[in-house]
Amino acid sequence: MKGRFQMRARNLASLASIVVLTIAGLMLLTSASATGQTPAAPKAAAAKAFTPPKTPWGDPDLQGTFTSDDYINTPLQRPANLGDRLYLTNEEIAAREATIKSTAQTDLQEFAGANARVGTGPPSHWGERAKHPPKQTSLIVDPPDGRMPPLTAEARTRKAGIGAGNNDPRPDSWEDFTYYIRCITRGVTGSIFPVIYGNGTQIVQGPGYVTILQEMVHEARVIPLNVGTHVSGNIRTYMGDSIGHFEGNTLVVDTTNFLAGKTGTGPNGGGTPTSDALHLVERFTRVDADTVNYEVTIDDPKTYTKPWKVAFPIYQEPGYQLFEYACHEGNYAMKNSLSGARAQDKADEAAGKK
Amino acid sequence: MRYRFPGVIIIVTLVVVIAALLLVVGPTTAQAPAQRGQPAAAAPPRAINGKPNFTGLWQSIGTANYDIQDHSARPGPLFQLGAVGAIPGGQGIVEGNEIPYQPWALAKKKENQANWLARDPEVKCYMPGIPRATYMPFPFQIVQSQKDIAIAYEFATANRVINMGTPREAAVDTWMGTSNGRWDGQTLVVDVTGFNEDTWFDRSGNFHSDALHVVERYTLRSQDVIDYEATIDDSKVFTRPWKIRLPLYRRLEQNARLGEFKCVEFTEELLYGNLRKQAK
Repeated sequence: MKGRFQMRARNLASLASIVVLTIAGLMLLTSASATGQTPAAPKAAAAKAFTPPKTPWGDPDLQGTFTSDDYINTPLQRPANLGDRLYLTNEEIAAREATIKSTAQTDLQEFAGANARVGTGPPSHWGERAKHPPKQTSLIVDPPDGRMPPLTAEARTRKAGIGAGNNDPRPDSWEDFTYYIRCITRGVTGSIFPVIYGNGTQIVQGPGYVTILQEMVHEARVIPLNVGTHVSGNIRTYMGDSIGHFEGNTLVVDTTNFLAGKTGTGPNGGGTPTSDALHLVERFTRVDADTVNYEVTIDDPKTYTKPWKVAFPIYQEPGYQLFEYACHEGNYAMKNSLSGARAQDKADEAAGKK
Repeated sequence: MRYRFPGVIIIVTLVVVIAALLLVVGPTTAQAPAQRGQPAAAAPPRAINGKPNFTGLWQSIGTANYDIQDHSARPGPLFQLGAVGAIPGGQGIVEGNEIPYQPWALAKKKENQANWLARDPEVKCYMPGIPRATYMPFPFQIVQSQKDIAIAYEFATANRVINMGTPREAAVDTWMGTSNGRWDGQTLVVDVTGFNEDTWFDRSGNFHSDALHVVERYTLRSQDVIDYEATIDDSKVFTRPWKIRLPLYRRLEQNARLGEFKCVEFTEELLYGNLRKQAK
């Protein structure tokens, strides 16, 4: 991962988030019992009947620190052999649960065995892990086969950036790498799709605004509510212009005005870069005290032959908090990758002269 | 990151929860909910749970980012930029205009200033730290909830969430520090610790160490002006704590909103240009 692991101190620092979680929990218990609901009701039933708390100024309260860790091992695109089946079977879920338990045991190991074969990668406990088995076979929920629609002919000619751990093709410059490796951004979707770590999303609301903060590459989207229109099409940004409103208890965020040819729609913003026609509609719905269902429709007619949709839950976990992810400030990987490539150029040249 | 849940915390938590519930329930009933479904019509509430509402887009005016002390206009380092690259003069924001450097530190400040472009972290698009983020020539957005307060700065997408709950110790040193907030009457007081030694105060080489401790005070002078004050303490660099003070103005343009200044792409040629493949 080219030195982009940040130090993750484990201490008693996040009492406050426990307090916030407990407050949210207690408030929910109070409101749930008032409406005669049991908090232990199955998720599907709760999703219909759950009434989220309100902020003092009357908006549905989505605030908290969430993670998509449970979906770390769920692929964006569904393996073809699973066809149109979106949900895992009970047996498959049980198997995932067993894997989560055994992995947790393995992660307790602090030192490699004396004769262990170790590579250059990080030890297993450095990554984040799913805590509960996911329910889905893929993050893509539409089209029904869980696959990205075909690229347009023009989009197939666009070059995708070089990702982490890949030194072939050899980079001529920083411009050959993805915007993530360059510590610039992962784009809107890349900032919330689950990856091996740093999956934290914190939501802070104020009157007229929702802020969505993401740990990795330290994103902060400030979304004005009920402002009606986007900024002029002459203003284009990596993260686009987001405007929001509530539909019932769901926050709907509409984002346009993206720069063309920057990030893609894969994990960490990799893959074929999207165009200036990209239009995202995201929906955030709190379905129980700890869970927000996230949904995004990706429409980019210059890149994909039809719109497609991704959905997965993000959830709160006691003690989980965001840390500062100073990516560019410590991007030694970029210097090292480029100087390595130049050293290889030199070696090739020397070999050619002989 | 996660940790075990010690039993003692439950008691502390319950006390805080009860207090918080009382706070939440009290003023809520007195306040009309914001109108929804209408574009930008409803005026924002002036208070959230009885505390002033700082939510909005703010910016400083002045030349403090060039030099936090009183300074005359002077030429910039690149003559090619002419008047555009010159440094405007202006009044500083330091109380009494004196920064009480220890002798070695004053020498280093001067050296920094002489090597501005090579050393200023702003040039490299690094996160600016606190308080510098407040008076850079970019706006920043405060989003204030009934719990925590988020501040998103336009420069480099730097941001921080001010923890308004039980104060937490800085877990690691960072560029933007660890912010714990509290209310002193109608003033928001933010205690910021856990800084690294890599940020500066301005483009004139004013610097600090990793012992930096900043206490900020935000007070509404009127709906559209915040009186901002910060006490700066760093026993490794200064002989005593000192203060800066400046007003922050609300951006009042119609549809004013936080822009995006992700400046990394503007620095890569500078930082990595020597490692670009050379044409044969």
